[in-house]
Amino acid sequence: MEGDCRFNNGNIRAKKRVAQAKQILDTIGIGGERVQMYNLSSAEGPKFAQYAVEMTHKIEELGPNPLKKAKAKMAA
Amino acid sequence: MIVAEKKPIEEIIEEVEGYKKILIAGCNECVTVCEAGGKKEVQVLASALRMYFMNQGKDVKIDEVTLERQCDHEYLEEIRNIIDQYDAVVSLACGVGVQFMAEKYFSTPVLPGVNTCFMGVTEERGIWTERCQGCGQCILARTAGICPVSRCAKRLLNGPCGGSTKGKCEIDPNVDCAWQLIIDRLKALGRLEQDYEKLTPIKDWSTDRAGGPRKVVREDVRI
Repeated sequence: MEGDCRFNNGNIRAKKRVAQAKQILDTIGIGGERVQMYNLSSAEGPKFAQYAVEMTHKIEELGPNPLKKAKAKMAA
Repeated sequence: MIVAEKKPIEEIIEEVEGYKKILIAGCNECVTVCEAGGKKEVQVLASALRMYFMNQGKDVKIDEVTLERQCDHEYLEEIRNIIDQYDAVVSLACGVGVQFMAEKYFSTPVLPGVNTCFMGVTEERGIWTERCQGCGQCILARTAGICPVSRCAKRLLNGPCGGSTKGKCEIDPNVDCAWQLIIDRLKALGRLEQDYEKLTPIKDWSTDRAGGPRKVVREDVRI
């Protein structure tokens, strides 16, 4: 969980970096919602599966990365 | 060191409008320490710009380089062979480096990627504060190592003003009164008599920025 990192405050630092990455992705038009951080331990298998499913649904709703389309257009 | 802050990406995007081949140039010194313009920041900015332009359907080449410094000839010379490949450079060095690069490569637009703020210290990771304003006549020997020019809002030289309250400056309750700090420190050093009681005469401000752009010449080291 948040704060229970074996590297002391590694997951707090990671949280801040993920927030920064979200902000950059928002600014450049890719969308910060495509990056998400979850806290859990290696023993929480079912929770991991639940988060993975959640994120998959979210991404399916958001659609493919806009860069894929842009890349294809530029190659054409 | 010189402390700077990253410019917002939106501002940099505006600056590079229209250029097709851009070099992002970082600096390995001060701006690396204050996490604004070092190799890491160059990588992040270059990556963000590449994604932005691709998303816009624009074909823009973005390359990266990080020089040791951008305020010495020999380091700037390192890009002489490649600079003509680019139609603009975004320099993440402090204002000094941006200008020196622009002077050296005057036919290539050199754009700033950071806002240069002050000469200061890392109080802790993520917090940088001002310490020196380069007045050119250091009196730190008389003020227990605390500068009234950079840290006193009024730049007073002979003690606090009437606005000093509970050790804080009247401009902001979070700003220490420099003179309170000086007096406390002089007391601790046992030098109140020698340093505080003796009046400091009117300062010669001609060596401060008020005197115009400055120069230091050392004939003894000139070749």
